[in-house]
Amino acid sequence: MACCNSALTVSNLCFGYPDQPDVLQSVNLEVKPGDRLGIIGNNGCGKTTLFLLLSGILTPDVGHIELMGQPVVPGQFRPEVGMVFQNPDDQLISASVWEDVAFGLENLGFTPEQIDRRVAEALTLTGTQDLAQRPPHHLSGGEKRMVAIAGVIAMRPQVVIYDEPSANLDLRARRRLICFLQQAPDTMVIASHDLEFVLEVCDRTVLMNDGTLIADAPPRDLLSNTALMQAHGLEVPYSLRTVSTSQSAL
Amino acid sequence: MKLALDEHAGLDSPLHRWAAPYKIVGLGLLMLAFASIRDLRLLLPMLSIAGLVYIASRLPARVLLTRLRYPGLFLVSVIVALPLLSGETVLWQWGWLTLRQEGVQAMGLIVGRFLSILTLSVVLLGTTPFVTLVRAFRSLGLPAILADMLLLTYRYLFDLADTLAQMQQAMRLRGFGRRQRPARVKFSLWRTLNRLAALAGTLLVRSYEQSERVYKAMQLRGYGARLGKGRSDRPQGTAFDWWGVVIALISALSLVIAEALLNWQR
Amino acid sequence: MHIPDGLIPVPVALGGYGLTGLFTWYSLRQINRLPNPTVDIPKASLLTAAFFVASSIHVPVPPTSVHFVLNGLLGAVLGYYAFPAIVIGLFFQAVMFAHGGLTTLGVNAAMMGIPALIAASIFRLHIHLRRLPPKRAIAITAFLAGVVGLGLATLIFVGIVITNIPSGFNAATERAAILGLGLAHGPLMVLEGLFTTMLVLFLQRVKPDMMRDSIYPQLPFGKAPASEPRR
Repeated sequence: MACCNSALTVSNLCFGYPDQPDVLQSVNLEVKPGDRLGIIGNNGCGKTTLFLLLSGILTPDVGHIELMGQPVVPGQFRPEVGMVFQNPDDQLISASVWEDVAFGLENLGFTPEQIDRRVAEALTLTGTQDLAQRPPHHLSGGEKRMVAIAGVIAMRPQVVIYDEPSANLDLRARRRLICFLQQAPDTMVIASHDLEFVLEVCDRTVLMNDGTLIADAPPRDLLSNTALMQAHGLEVPYSLRTVSTSQSAL
Repeated sequence: MKLALDEHAGLDSPLHRWAAPYKIVGLGLLMLAFASIRDLRLLLPMLSIAGLVYIASRLPARVLLTRLRYPGLFLVSVIVALPLLSGETVLWQWGWLTLRQEGVQAMGLIVGRFLSILTLSVVLLGTTPFVTLVRAFRSLGLPAILADMLLLTYRYLFDLADTLAQMQQAMRLRGFGRRQRPARVKFSLWRTLNRLAALAGTLLVRSYEQSERVYKAMQLRGYGARLGKGRSDRPQGTAFDWWGVVIALISALSLVIAEALLNWQR
Repeated sequence: MHIPDGLIPVPVALGGYGLTGLFTWYSLRQINRLPNPTVDIPKASLLTAAFFVASSIHVPVPPTSVHFVLNGLLGAVLGYYAFPAIVIGLFFQAVMFAHGGLTTLGVNAAMMGIPALIAASIFRLHIHLRRLPPKRAIAITAFLAGVVGLGLATLIFVGIVITNIPSGFNAATERAAILGLGLAHGPLMVLEGLFTTMLVLFLQRVKPDMMRDSIYPQLPFGKAPASEPRR
């Protein structure tokens, strides 16, 4: 949207669970409209917690989150942000793909014609129009993922959050997802362990460790920084490693 | 749903050391004796026995209090309804509000029995690891199919509760069931019911499909070859275990005999 | 709707255990007669857990919210495992939430389980409603199964509570209480019936395998036709 120069602003965000304090420690982050932000870091670094805070499910202990210039109030529904869960089975609850994509639109109160149009559009965008009448439970992993995405983008959120989108996908489904995301115009925040995937899809990367942001840079620069990556238990992706080793060999 | 039953089973107390089959018998006898109390004068002895058992178990008071949170509604309705509605002897009257003696007594008995029996149940479950408990039930004659079902149900109960919570969260994120609705969205019971039926159905389908995988994995580790053939071993009790049963039996019998004597006196 | 510890006299509690023991014994005997009695144990256990969890789903009915018992559907889906499943579900309800209790487990299981079995046989009647389109036949019997499952359980519950709550209530108060409970449960029974119907139609569409039991009741989970391949 043209009105805001920042899609998402996180300032001094702190959060802890009762049995696990300091999951997030004063996180500051700004996402501009059109950004494709990748978040990397090992399990338990606070990525999923950050997402639950961004979508207003959890309440921050300290700090402030703004979405399209409006503060995020926990418990309040914000259709401007959409979240694609790590496990698509958690998201698909209807008897057919079509109904599932229509679910959010019905909740937003669209007319049947508008719903028809938007569902068809979302299914076409994600390449799942042939599955419309199938029960989601019988789809393959890749198909489920694309349908879950269709259900979220049908609501036309301004920011889409993806939690491990490439997990459990075969190579073809992964490639299809990459092509889809590369063409998608939305602002997106993607958490992934699949660094090659981040490299192909994102134009900005943030490294998280133990609840703090360590680095913020373009993917190619950050992921090829061997010292930084190793210091936080990560490995430089193979595609970048060959370049750097050949350089060091010279 | 953070309600693991046996999170305090690792503590050490006489009740933790009491071997599970004997503990089931002993506490079971006491519970039945509690359930048979009909005389108000035995209320205090009963509550004291339950209290002593709880103290001896060294379980934190919080455990009992959490268990009491859910049945609270029942307790409140008994406490409010009985004294006002039941009985003829009026204790106190204020306008239409009448406090009746028989109702107050009945209320005291019901709440007292409820609290005492619940306390013993919490002690039984809280001081015994769940697997040990099921094994003990098995040695006391619980059929193998039921024992297997108990263990498997317990194993997946928490998983499925998490799954349901995740799915409900995903639904809320897509705008389902929020309180402030835009004016054009009318609350429709039919539609809500249909959505929740789909949610429940999805949960059932997911668990059904998961069970097929679980069974295959169990089969690969030899499940099905054993059932019904292997007999469970008879429990080997120590003197301590037997003394526990004897003490429980004596307390239970004293309560029952006292109850009978007081009844006969009347 | 559970009978808590301490409300009923010991003979009633023991009688409940006796009845529950009888039904469980009969169910287990039927299961043990199957060619491979272990094959459906994981399925029955996970579905027991799932029904237990699903019955915690609350439906907002302004100004309050209600949840469903689902014992009619449980009877239809689980076949011979239904009664043991209810015993286990109620055991966990008693020890986790103190809904019901250990001394009243027998009474509660009989109160929920016997209506569940009756509701399951009502649901199976859809096979005989040949003149109706199958979907409508299933919808009608599922609705009745839901209504009867909850309705019978409520009747038994009210009966036990009224006969065991100490004397001293005058007849008028008693009748008013029964009438009030009946009136309150009428809408609940209709909701339970509707929800059961919607759930059955969902399962019928998404995973018809699960409902096969109601067509081949002698085989839990309907082994008769080969299940179709996934995808």
